[in-house]
Amino acid sequence: MTDAVTSTADRAAARPTPVVEPLAQKLAAQAHSLAEQTAASSDALSAWRQAALAQLARLPFPSKKTEQWKYTSLMALDAGHLVTQAPDHANAPALPEPLAPWRLVLINGRFHADLSQLPPQGVSLTRLDGSAEAPLSIAEDALRTPFAWLNSAALQDGLLLTVADGVALDAPIEVLLLGSADVASHCHTRLRLQLGAGSRATLIERYIGQGPVLTNAVTEITTGENSDLVHYRLQAEAADTLHIGSLILAPGRDSRAASFQLMQGNALRRNDVRVLMTHSGASASLNGIFVGRGSTHTDNQICIEHRVPHAVSDQLFKGMAGDKARLVFNGRIHIFAGAKGTNAELSNKNLLLSPGAEVDTKPELEIYNDDVKCSHGTTCGQLDAQALFYLRSRGIAEPAAKRMLAFGFVNELLSALPDEAVVEWARPWLERALTEAEHA
Amino acid sequence: MTSQAELDKLIRGDYAAGFISAIESDTLPPGLNEDVIRFISAKKGEPAWLLDWRLEAYKKWLSMPLPTWAHLDHPPLDFDEVSYYSAPKSMADRPQSLDEVDPELLRTYEKLGIPLHEQEMLAGVAVDAVFDSVSVGTTFKAKLLEAGVIFCSISEAVHEYPDLIKPYLGSVVPQGDNFYAALNSAVFSDGSFVYIPKGVRCPMELSTYFRINEAKTGQFERTLIVADEGSYVSYLEGCTAPMRDENQLHAAVVELVALPGAQIKYSTVQNWYPGDENGKGGIYNFVTKRGVAHDNAKISWTQVETGSAITWKYPSVILRGDNAVGEFYSVALTRHMQQADTGTKMIHLGKNTTSTIISKGISAGRSSNTYRGLVRISPRAENARNFTQCDSLLLGDTCGAHTFPYIESRNPSAMIEHEATTSKVSDDQLFLCRNRGIDPEKAVSMIVNGFCKEVFKELPMEFAVEAGKLLEVSLEGAVG
Repeated sequence: MTDAVTSTADRAAARPTPVVEPLAQKLAAQAHSLAEQTAASSDALSAWRQAALAQLARLPFPSKKTEQWKYTSLMALDAGHLVTQAPDHANAPALPEPLAPWRLVLINGRFHADLSQLPPQGVSLTRLDGSAEAPLSIAEDALRTPFAWLNSAALQDGLLLTVADGVALDAPIEVLLLGSADVASHCHTRLRLQLGAGSRATLIERYIGQGPVLTNAVTEITTGENSDLVHYRLQAEAADTLHIGSLILAPGRDSRAASFQLMQGNALRRNDVRVLMTHSGASASLNGIFVGRGSTHTDNQICIEHRVPHAVSDQLFKGMAGDKARLVFNGRIHIFAGAKGTNAELSNKNLLLSPGAEVDTKPELEIYNDDVKCSHGTTCGQLDAQALFYLRSRGIAEPAAKRMLAFGFVNELLSALPDEAVVEWARPWLERALTEAEHA
Repeated sequence: MTSQAELDKLIRGDYAAGFISAIESDTLPPGLNEDVIRFISAKKGEPAWLLDWRLEAYKKWLSMPLPTWAHLDHPPLDFDEVSYYSAPKSMADRPQSLDEVDPELLRTYEKLGIPLHEQEMLAGVAVDAVFDSVSVGTTFKAKLLEAGVIFCSISEAVHEYPDLIKPYLGSVVPQGDNFYAALNSAVFSDGSFVYIPKGVRCPMELSTYFRINEAKTGQFERTLIVADEGSYVSYLEGCTAPMRDENQLHAAVVELVALPGAQIKYSTVQNWYPGDENGKGGIYNFVTKRGVAHDNAKISWTQVETGSAITWKYPSVILRGDNAVGEFYSVALTRHMQQADTGTKMIHLGKNTTSTIISKGISAGRSSNTYRGLVRISPRAENARNFTQCDSLLLGDTCGAHTFPYIESRNPSAMIEHEATTSKVSDDQLFLCRNRGIDPEKAVSMIVNGFCKEVFKELPMEFAVEAGKLLEVSLEGAVG
């Protein structure tokens, strides 16, 4: 035998084990030391932070070889974002006009009561700063990314909103989350909303800010039996910011939940959305508009899990990528074996507005039950040349005509929103984002 | 009303082609190392360059990790339990005509419905029958040669047409392409080689029947089809294997080269032993199939997959030239404990390239059926166009149907559409058939046939008939 390696065992030993990327290793070490510092402080949330720390240690940091992070590189975090904490702004910067009569303000993850208009009776507010114990995660495995666990392990402040049973709010509650720093740094924002049985509420999460700050956001929402939820996640940070966020939504029995996401790309944007259909009769509707501009990166991972019979979900997401922007979309519908009578639909439509842009989309179905109706569709294309010609022949300049058509592409989603204040804010925002998406 | 015994027989749905023919073969002991590769190469009297090529592939294979990304669950494969060479013994001195072929072998073919004797007169199909690892009988050669078409075993082509083999072997699927392709490159036993000269329309449909026969023998086919400028060929591949309890490994590579203006139509009916209802036995099928379409060329893959315990197969088209066309039509049926992870890749590189993907997955029993596809539009693929439709049909609530389509677009002028649905045989459809006096099994079979019609119509006539029948047989006992 001329060959030294002859048996399967030898060969298995000789095969290279997958190398952990140095960057992933570095980030994991940074995250761990960060979490350890916070976890050491003893207060009402200590035990909970310790548990999260253990989870963080267990979960490997993503690298390019990680399937769910295939299109998203964490290179942008190499500048030490996870080392430095964003400053605690003593002097409040100018805040935009509120979108609702009740507004709660978090600056770099810290709650500012003096800038906030507290919600009315029937809604209780608990600060998650360790002063009191608070029920936090929906389920132990609800969070999927190490960033979400880092958020839990390093938690110093956050908000828990509880809407009491039977309370119907006639106006939305806005949570304004501002992230701002001059140097590469991070902040963790944590939000938890609990809707009681038979209640009705609208939550507007609005993220704004600028500078090289990484906002590591976790939002968890549970709703009670026969409740109504309208949820907005408006992500309008400047292009130089970074955002890694998780949203977990668990609708209650016979409840209705609608969640709308509006986002523009920035230096790094990653959203992991997980919807847990664990109560029969629940319906969830997820919609969103994504605008990629400049050289921004937007990665959306939406996973909807139908674990029980007779729940309904529908999703429509529209993306537009201009300039050199990259849009990533992964929409997964997972039907568990017992979930008979499920209806689940997903549609993702994309427009490429310029030759340097890229769209990577993957709608997934994983189905273990035959008594279901499931479908997904996705398209990727450009503006209709004929429609463009029509507008131009009416004397409308090309850029304006393109904007008009792009606006028309997403308007069906905007005009369906139930809250006028949001629509009024979103239209000019979209106009601006589209102008920025045109060219650098 | 059928009797209980007949019903039982139907429900068990035993593998109709499951028999073992006792032919002495020249089999290498299990295990893989460089000596095995040298042995295979020497046995075939291969030139030095090919041996080096194989050894290079082996070195690459050694350094590659086992792929784990597919939606498949199987015990780890032991590549040393596999024997890498097996040839029917009487092949030592190659038979000059069919009369010299081992009569046992001929009888095996007859059982499979491949009457070599009759084929010359009947179907007008030239058959390069692969029995385990060495080609035995090649028919219609003369007639094909008259048209200038070369259709022979790849080992023969290595000797007779090295100038055609050398530039194209590994040009589409390189040695280190993936784990199983590397393994195949190192140990490939035999396969078919087809060359269609410029402007020639191949006078008949070419067909190869595969059959894995020797227990514990891996079958490592390598097929290379080169269609020169403006030519056309339709190639049929069909397989069936005898019943065995131990899992058999199959890692084939198929390379298609469609030069400018050429058309290649490649159809497969795959019916290897799928294992019994408890997942015991069955073929592990890890196949790499890929074609390169140059300017104005067209490559069309059609597959009907009903067999194998594990199917890992992604026939792909690289649309390299402008105006190239890629097509993929697939029916994949899984039952018992079968697992299929199959789909396609369409890589759009040239301008005005178009691709169509139609995939129909049917799952029954406790099986798992996955479509996995990739559509990639490169920045210079102006006006590229893709349409994808993936439909899944579930029969019963213990099976799974999954869809994982990857879509990557980097050109704004490209148009990509993808849609997928999942459904079951509806009670309305069944009721309609039943009140017309059609029994449930027949009704389901009819509905499933209708579900697959879009794909079947792409198959050559005789294959379409076989495919329909195959589906019917496979569905027996799957309907509750």
